[in-house]
Amino acid sequence: MSDEKQQLEAIRDSFEKEFDRFSDALKDGFRGMKLSAAEKLAKELGEFRVKHTGKKSPISGAMKLIGRVAPEQRADFGKTVQSVRARIEGRIAETEDSLKSYIRSAKTKREAVDVTLPGRRVRSGHLHPMTLLRHKIEDIFVSMGYAIEDDREIETDHYNFDALNIPVGHPARESKDTFYTTGGFALRSQTSTVQIRAMERRGAPIKIIAPGRVFRRDTPDQTHTPVFHQIEGLCVDTDITMAHLKGTVSEWLRRMYGEETKTRFRPGYFPFTEPSAEFDFSCFKCSGTGEFEEAKCGTCRGSGWIELGGCGMVHPNVLEGCGIDHKVYSGFAFGFGLERMAALMYSLDDIRLMFENDVRFLRQFY
Amino acid sequence: MLISYNWLNEMVPVGLGAYELAEKLTLIGLEIDGVHERDGDVIFDIEITSNRGDCLSHLGVAREVSAYFDKPYKLESQIEETPSITDRVSIEAPDLCYRFTSRIVRGVKVGPSPPWLVERLEAVGERPINNIADITNFVMHELGQPMHAFDLDSLNGRKIVVRRAAKGEKIATLDEEVRDLDPSILAICDTDKPVAIAGVMGGLESGVTESTADVLLEVACFDRDSIRKTSARLNLSTEASYRFERGVDIENLVKASNRAASLMSEIAGGDPQEFSDEFPSKRKAVSVETESLEREFRRLTGIELTDAEIEGYLKGLGFEIRGASSFEVPSWRHDVSIPEDLVEEVARIHGYDRIGEALPPSRSAGEYHHLEQRKRRLRTALVAAGFDEAMSYSFVDGAAASAYSTVDEMRGDETPLVLINDPIIEGANLMRPTLLTGMIEAVHKNFNHRESDLRLFEIGRTFRGLSESSLPEEKEMLAVVLTGRESFENTSAAGRAYDFFDLKAAVETAAEAIGIRGLEFAVATEPRHLQVGQSALVRFRETIVGAVGRLESTLADGYKFKQPVYVAELDLSFLLEEPESVAVYKPLDVYPSVVRDVSLVVTENISLSKILEVVSSAGFENFEKATYVDTYTGEGVEEGERSVTIRFEYRSPERTLTDKEVDQVHSEVLSSLESTFSARFR
Repeated sequence: MSDEKQQLEAIRDSFEKEFDRFSDALKDGFRGMKLSAAEKLAKELGEFRVKHTGKKSPISGAMKLIGRVAPEQRADFGKTVQSVRARIEGRIAETEDSLKSYIRSAKTKREAVDVTLPGRRVRSGHLHPMTLLRHKIEDIFVSMGYAIEDDREIETDHYNFDALNIPVGHPARESKDTFYTTGGFALRSQTSTVQIRAMERRGAPIKIIAPGRVFRRDTPDQTHTPVFHQIEGLCVDTDITMAHLKGTVSEWLRRMYGEETKTRFRPGYFPFTEPSAEFDFSCFKCSGTGEFEEAKCGTCRGSGWIELGGCGMVHPNVLEGCGIDHKVYSGFAFGFGLERMAALMYSLDDIRLMFENDVRFLRQFY
Repeated sequence: MLISYNWLNEMVPVGLGAYELAEKLTLIGLEIDGVHERDGDVIFDIEITSNRGDCLSHLGVAREVSAYFDKPYKLESQIEETPSITDRVSIEAPDLCYRFTSRIVRGVKVGPSPPWLVERLEAVGERPINNIADITNFVMHELGQPMHAFDLDSLNGRKIVVRRAAKGEKIATLDEEVRDLDPSILAICDTDKPVAIAGVMGGLESGVTESTADVLLEVACFDRDSIRKTSARLNLSTEASYRFERGVDIENLVKASNRAASLMSEIAGGDPQEFSDEFPSKRKAVSVETESLEREFRRLTGIELTDAEIEGYLKGLGFEIRGASSFEVPSWRHDVSIPEDLVEEVARIHGYDRIGEALPPSRSAGEYHHLEQRKRRLRTALVAAGFDEAMSYSFVDGAAASAYSTVDEMRGDETPLVLINDPIIEGANLMRPTLLTGMIEAVHKNFNHRESDLRLFEIGRTFRGLSESSLPEEKEMLAVVLTGRESFENTSAAGRAYDFFDLKAAVETAAEAIGIRGLEFAVATEPRHLQVGQSALVRFRETIVGAVGRLESTLADGYKFKQPVYVAELDLSFLLEEPESVAVYKPLDVYPSVVRDVSLVVTENISLSKILEVVSSAGFENFEKATYVDTYTGEGVEEGERSVTIRFEYRSPERTLTDKEVDQVHSEVLSSLESTFSARFR
């Protein structure tokens, strides 16, 4: 019996001795161990586990000793063998677990990245500010029941002038303001031409918005370009009044610049509307106070109001010219320049940039 | 136009400060462009709309203030004189001169004006000259009536003839310019020569000087169109022509003359004598008739006013009420002729701010333009692919544009292009037939700013078809340009250099965004702006829709481009009218395919599309498809050849193919390539 016990103790001692290097590493939590060394150690521990707990391991051999012990001591000895085995297995498993978790965390550490580096992304493009603004305005008016219309940029004098009640001899008809083709056609000087064609095509009632390019013989400077964009609105129905004009323009500007936006209508003059008005809205920068950051507001030049466009009740001559009975129908129209609106929104001091395609400019808008 | 607050306040005192008054004026249609203070006065810079010639004076503005505040205005007292008929004036062109008054003021002492007069003139931006000239200017700013003083002794025959100038006649005007006249111009003449250009400017020789003793004062009314044309023709715009063009008050001439004569007497010691008034055909008053102005007003403004309220407003503005339905327009108003005009008059004095706000009844659903949604998808796709949207002028330099082939030309259509008269930008006389000129200009400008990695697109109209009988054709095009290297957000790391295939990819991306699939690209030599060998025509269902390629080298050298630039232009109008391709479901494959990659060496002129066409059209058994893998030149491939790797896929819908079956058909495919293209295999 003591012989067997001794053998068992020898097995345990030899395990403890060989295990020392692992337990030492475990004791100080593998501190400072390189990942490669830890992985090597794990591999060795795997081999160690096979050597000490496998079929050919001494402890497996010790199981055979149980039969050799006197029957009355066999149970006790059996327990002892089992406890030695459990200790060996336990120590190894414990170490393996720690080692694995050490390796896992070392790997995690190794794979860490600088999350503040830029995302891998091809440079995005940018829509032109004119397009961005047009989309926004079109969206608002479509939601208010308007149809978006588009039409020719080169027009006959009829559509550019006569049908708009701009008589021969009117200053606007002079070629110093209007471009003409050598064939005698006008480059439209306002998008109101679209109104006429749409009324001819659709008749009344009608509710349309016409965005587009227009042309005037202005030498380019900070506030003028010979090509620019306008948006024109038209609503003709029975019982349309100036109240509907004011309501529509105000609603649009509130959706554009916020609920607080106020509008102001002043008498104006356009040949194609009567009565006519100019419309202003409260400055979005200084909220109509005329002061911004304790100085005169630069956007509205201190007035609190921004002049935006013209409007009015469609002139009876215009309606009749399109075959709409002005005794039955009335309507309003309004129009404004997109460049000016964009210049105000972005505090842009030179609208020529709109047509220069300088990417340092284009890439600022989204 | 400049208006002095003090001066105005003398005519119609309303007890408001200058700034409060300015605000009110804006609200009734006299827009205040600027307000500045000056020596105890406040000067308003008022923008008068072109229909309101009657407001171009202190009297004119005073009438508006008077109507708005319902307070009378007053004018300075003046001499009253009964016209004495003389034969001093004859009007030979009564179609251009409606009325002409002349007055002789004798024994004037020409000299500097008194301080009060100088102050008034300087307040409204006039430079004092001498008391006689200053009085005419003063009365113009006071009453709105331009007038002119002649030195009576300098007039040949001491007579005035109002006639069309004769061809070849000349006059030296007060600004010391000699001007050529012609029969389109109305001239004020003495018995043998023009002494003034009617309504525009007086002559130098007949003007009042220090030595002038007797003055002939002209106060007249001329045809508005005639003055406008003369002013435009001579490129000479004056305070007088500005007012005559917009219309003066023909019934105010005598008053204005009397006022000036009174001042000449008072200030220059002159003695007003003979007065003549030539008024060949009297003015007919304009009346506006309407069944019910109250109803008309309500119909257009939504406001209910009583007849009495309406009449009150109109009377305040100088209208005469002739019964319930007729309103006589005051002689100074040239802009009122229909009931709607009366509605505006009443509304602006009542106040636009008192009109309510409502949304119109909705009888229609909103709708975008029928092509807008596809265009938005196109823009979104290109922006996502890194393109910035450009926008260029519609007119271009004709010579610069001729370097580019238009899509129409590629189709063999040589319709002439659209030219414009008098371009405002030098050389830009052509309505663009292509967007590419603008795009290349944009590239050039950006290169100058050291921006060399560019991806740009523009959607815009092009024009062609020059004819006097029909409008030009307008077509929407898409232009795409790229150059430089791939770039990334938030890093300066440079990517790959762009080449032809980046451009081709962009064009395909754009087309797919609008539902166009299956563009075909074919080797092209036609587009003169593209470099042969990197130039392709783009077709959709047999129609040429554009071209893509590298900018041709002489064109690029002209701009001193040091890096390749790739450009494409597509006929968007055509593509947007094509129906969008619609997805069709195909049942999923049941059996796996067998794949064979082959590298075949062919001469360089054999295109991939030819190779794919041969294998796809032969109808090999179980052949499913062939796709491009890559191209190789270099070691193992002779010069003039290239190696193209292609992946062949075989599949049966009924069973899994065996290697043996595939080998058999694959070798047939290879031998067909071998025999068709003399291909070798690597």
